[in-house]
Amino acid sequence: MLTLALPHAYAPQKPPVNADAQVLLDFKARVDKYVELRKKVDDSAPPMKKTEDPAELRTAQQGLAERIGAARSPAKQGDIFTPEITARFRQLLRPEAKDPGTKAAIKDDNPGNIPFKVNGPYPSKEALSTMPPNVLASLPPLPKDIEYRFVNKHLILRDVRANLIIDYIPNAIS
Amino acid sequence: MYHQRPKFRFVMAFALLLGLVGAPAAQDLTLPNQPDSLKFAIIGDSGTGSSSQYKIAEKLIASHAKFPYEFVLMMGDNLYSGSGAKDYQKKFEDPYKPLLDSGLKFYAALGNHDNPDERNYKPFNMGGQRYYTFKPKNGVRIFALDSNYMDPPQLQWLEKEMAASGSDWKICFFHHPLYSSGGTHGSDLQLRAQLEPVFLKHGVDAVFSGHEHFYERIKPQKGIYYFTSGGAAKLREGDVGKSPLTAKSFDSGYHFMLVEITKDALHFQVISDQGKTVDSGALPRVSDQEKKKLSTP
Repeated sequence: MLTLALPHAYAPQKPPVNADAQVLLDFKARVDKYVELRKKVDDSAPPMKKTEDPAELRTAQQGLAERIGAARSPAKQGDIFTPEITARFRQLLRPEAKDPGTKAAIKDDNPGNIPFKVNGPYPSKEALSTMPPNVLASLPPLPKDIEYRFVNKHLILRDVRANLIIDYIPNAIS
Repeated sequence: MYHQRPKFRFVMAFALLLGLVGAPAAQDLTLPNQPDSLKFAIIGDSGTGSSSQYKIAEKLIASHAKFPYEFVLMMGDNLYSGSGAKDYQKKFEDPYKPLLDSGLKFYAALGNHDNPDERNYKPFNMGGQRYYTFKPKNGVRIFALDSNYMDPPQLQWLEKEMAASGSDWKICFFHHPLYSSGGTHGSDLQLRAQLEPVFLKHGVDAVFSGHEHFYERIKPQKGIYYFTSGGAAKLREGDVGKSPLTAKSFDSGYHFMLVEITKDALHFQVISDQGKTVDSGALPRVSDQEKKKLSTP
């Protein structure tokens, strides 16, 4: 038995693949793919710049959102937050969201039950929920200008520059 | 009657004197107004476009003649309910027009009602960033943070920038107060757990916030001075609860702040929409050694 087992023991071992890590790698790959798409549509338009004219800000943001929306069509809930990724995120959020202080902080500036959809804009007149630092530290890091926010109990993934909802996890916290 | 007349005249003259001199006296500058100091103003939760915002704006503009502050810090919620061109105009450009026209700079922090895209609006001087730092004068460094989204990259940036700021006065401003006696929101404990250790490590002197729609000066916490100033257009009357944290509070009117940094002290004056000084004083700079002592449990 020992001689039979030896070749395996001395063969080069692949690092063990942690299932949870694999799920988060999948999340990263999906977000990266989105960022790549944004870059592609972004490169096709004049660069967004700092301006004194607020109308320019709005036009640039809406233009970017329209181009991304068209390029992603037909995007749907779950494109990034697959069932496996959703389950892992709920696990990561559970200990933080149990803390009464964190719960209160999430609720404090939360816009509540507002309508939104994937590939649609975040309602411009609504406040953005404050993300407690401990919650952000528990979630996978995101590329620049992509962020997490709560809308009611749903965790949304938002493109800051385009003010676009990329995807969301329904009832991410209880 | 005849004998009463001079007395009456005297009483009237005295009343007039009180009326003419007494009320404006409340607006009088209590700050040292030294030629070589750093002077700035603070407005918080200002972007409503309401008559109360305009009233405070008028007082702010008027105070500039007596106290020539160099810039205005905005504590967030700079534009409520939308960020279209008309919102920028009605809630920022119009009320502060004389100041903007004179070239005075505004530096904004983001509040929970702000579109983060405001960072690209040049007159907010955010340099396209959610968080940033600037040195308005030798010996003073100011840090603007985004307390809505205190993610690990922002904390790492803060550590790095504070470490590089040497012995300057370190002043931070952001939307959510770490210490507050507000009944609606109160202290942001999660944010405090992340920021306070960094502030203590690097010797932050003073912190200004908004979010709560009133004024509160907190008793120094571990050697750091905390102010909440979120009533430049919104007001939550009676919201400051009784709390051992409070050194002074004001929640019965709108307000703005004037601040002066001299070599060894932070001077402040808080002015209401009625033109009354509701708080003022001078707080000595606490040495790093003292702060270390105070922060040790």
